[in-house]
Amino acid sequence: MARLDKSRTSSHQLRPFFTSQNLLNRADGSAQFDFGGTSVLCSVVGPAEVKIRDEKLDKATLEVLARPLVGVPGVKDKTIEQNIRETLEPLVLSGLHPRTLLQIVVQTMQDDGCVQSTAFNATMLALIDAGVPLNSILGSVTCMIDRKTNQVLLDPTREELAQAKSTHVFVFDNKAPPAQSKGDEDDVVMEDGDRVEGHVLFCESTGVFTEAEYFECYQVCYKGVQTVHGFLRTAVQKKFEKEHQQLQD
Amino acid sequence: MAPKNKKGQADAADESTSAPTLRVILPGDQLPPHEANLPTGQDEDAVSMMIDQRAPPTIKLGPGLTPMDDDTIISVKAGVLNHTDIGNRWWVESNQRRYVAAPGESVIGIVTGKTGEHYKMDIGTAQPALLPVLAFENATKKNRPNFNIGDLLYCRVAMANKDMEAELDCVNPTTGKSDGFGELKGGFAFKVSLGLARRLLDPRQAVVLRELGKHFPFETAVGMNGKVWINSASTAHTILIANAIKNSEFLSTAQCQSMVKKMVERI
Amino acid sequence: MTSVAATSSTFTFSAAAFQRLHPAEYFRKFVSQGVRPDGRLLSGFRPTTVHKSVVSTANGSSMVRVGGTTVVCGIKAEVAEPTLEAQDKGYIVPNVELSPMCSSAFKAGPPSEQAQVVSDAIDRILKDSDVVDLEQLCIEKGRAVWALWADVVCISYDGNILDAALLAVMTALTNVRLRKPTYDEGVVTVSGEALTEENSFSLTLTRTPLSTTFAIFDTPNNTLLADPNSAEENVSLGRITVTLDEKNQLCGVHKVGSGSCSPALIKSCIERAKERTQELRSLLA
Repeated sequence: MARLDKSRTSSHQLRPFFTSQNLLNRADGSAQFDFGGTSVLCSVVGPAEVKIRDEKLDKATLEVLARPLVGVPGVKDKTIEQNIRETLEPLVLSGLHPRTLLQIVVQTMQDDGCVQSTAFNATMLALIDAGVPLNSILGSVTCMIDRKTNQVLLDPTREELAQAKSTHVFVFDNKAPPAQSKGDEDDVVMEDGDRVEGHVLFCESTGVFTEAEYFECYQVCYKGVQTVHGFLRTAVQKKFEKEHQQLQD
Repeated sequence: MAPKNKKGQADAADESTSAPTLRVILPGDQLPPHEANLPTGQDEDAVSMMIDQRAPPTIKLGPGLTPMDDDTIISVKAGVLNHTDIGNRWWVESNQRRYVAAPGESVIGIVTGKTGEHYKMDIGTAQPALLPVLAFENATKKNRPNFNIGDLLYCRVAMANKDMEAELDCVNPTTGKSDGFGELKGGFAFKVSLGLARRLLDPRQAVVLRELGKHFPFETAVGMNGKVWINSASTAHTILIANAIKNSEFLSTAQCQSMVKKMVERI
Repeated sequence: MTSVAATSSTFTFSAAAFQRLHPAEYFRKFVSQGVRPDGRLLSGFRPTTVHKSVVSTANGSSMVRVGGTTVVCGIKAEVAEPTLEAQDKGYIVPNVELSPMCSSAFKAGPPSEQAQVVSDAIDRILKDSDVVDLEQLCIEKGRAVWALWADVVCISYDGNILDAALLAVMTALTNVRLRKPTYDEGVVTVSGEALTEENSFSLTLTRTPLSTTFAIFDTPNNTLLADPNSAEENVSLGRITVTLDEKNQLCGVHKVGSGSCSPALIKSCIERAKERTQELRSLLA
């Protein structure tokens, strides 16, 4: 079925990715990540000196600041800040840098839908660029369900989101799922008989939707995130190849 | 990060050198068993590394690799996976801009403060490092070195611990000699990434320094903390050298040679 | 973390001291036995009460008690100009206040991050799940609409503020009575006489979403604590919130924090949330 976004032919197709790393001169790490017309720039400073008030004796303090496209940060940005911080806290090996500050600034550069997912991916690349020790990497995509057609659309544009009855942001990591976790005995099986795969790290679904629709989105996003993971890997690999080309000659 | 030693005999069955292409790994990636020269009965694609209990091999893990509870080894940094057969050592060569002090590394620090017993030094870490006033050649309680705020010192990290400020010294504790450490007078200092600093310290890789040396003489000191100090006969040369070093980070050997040539021709 | 207190024979301290020194280990001992320090089972919810029309000066109000957490919601209606984008729609603005009055964990001054995040979560549920058809709040298209300020004040904080605040807002919304205003050439008149069936109206809610929160206590076991209190929130690693309407349609699934969850775990949360929201609805009726 045709999408509102004419550049794409399939409902499960992602927009073209773009990324650029190490583009801020004064930050310890930085990256830009684009999903089509949506672009987020992220900078990482740290491990740096922390204010006594925020100091934690056994681990690094994580601070996330989200900056909107226009105007001053508002309530919506606080939600993004909390979501990113609470998702990253278990990923960053903060015990290796106690009594320090890790400051992450997320600046929206262009908004054509899915800002939160773009911010997650930009933050991930910026942390890798800064050399912050991590136990895994994450990738994020957003999908929505169309109000009229009930179709799941991956990575919707702003125009498409206006037609959404629900939107779903998912984050998955690159770890193999834990061998045994509670509730694994009974798999969730979708209507077409497929088992729902993947262990979710973060999810935020809003709107009105059924359980079956939720798990369909879960599955579509899990597959979408695999593409993002592959892209992140290529992006990092390219950067190191460029750095090491003197050795190769 | 201290190398983690696993007990058992060293296994060096596969003496072939590492693959010619770069092995870039990302945080969370596991070190595959057949790569770690482990005697496994598993197929090549097996991702979980089960260590054979009968003949456990010795692996030494360097920076960027951490053993997990289930005997797998994962990477915590993005970088190039490196390996030497001698001692079966594995480490990840990553690049970053923020310095984290490690014992034994040579660094360039700026004096930022002075107390009775210590100089406070900025070496680029989260907390300022401490340099005892007695950690200099021939220094005694009566005969103390005298530095001012803003002076540059080439020193060695004597002690580094994640919970404490790093401690520096400018003397070899066994011989009492300065070993070349001490104040860097005159010249110009600037910051580069830690990866570039490491490459500048490796004669095989420091193409840009070799090329610059063909055109005019200069002095240089490179700290593992990404600070580079240079000194030459004229200011014009100093600026040229600083720019050439900063430009060289992402260039190939040929590009680097032509870059230096063009810059030298311009002055 | 060491479990010095429990095993060492020469060095012992009281349960209260143990809880203060090693809160996570203290909880782990309870959780391993399948109970919680306050006597609940892992899947148990705290006793919940709902009172309507508690603030006589507000157009709609409610007081909700979930264990030690108490919130009061008052909805005040004001005549306002419509926004440029929606000329025939009124608006509802939820605001959650977590002042030092309800817990020493909160400081005076501008709203804390948590207060803002909860306000935003309620706002998104109201908007994205179409809880109120905002055209009901139109007085004269392009000229005047009702603006409803839904202020939630926390009186006593003991964890799980989102579930309590959302329940309070939904109760207060069903409780709202607005006078029928008259519009005449740019002047809106709202009579001051006593409310009757004829001169006032209630809001029609499309649906009433209610949320259920579970704390993720440990990884990789992903032990869930239903309806966590403040102490449990402090030792847990993440949380899952499931929001459901009366037809058991989902209005929100939010998972944040440590521990990757399997689809089966989320499904079990949805199942348990269904039972819980059924119970809550009997309080609302």
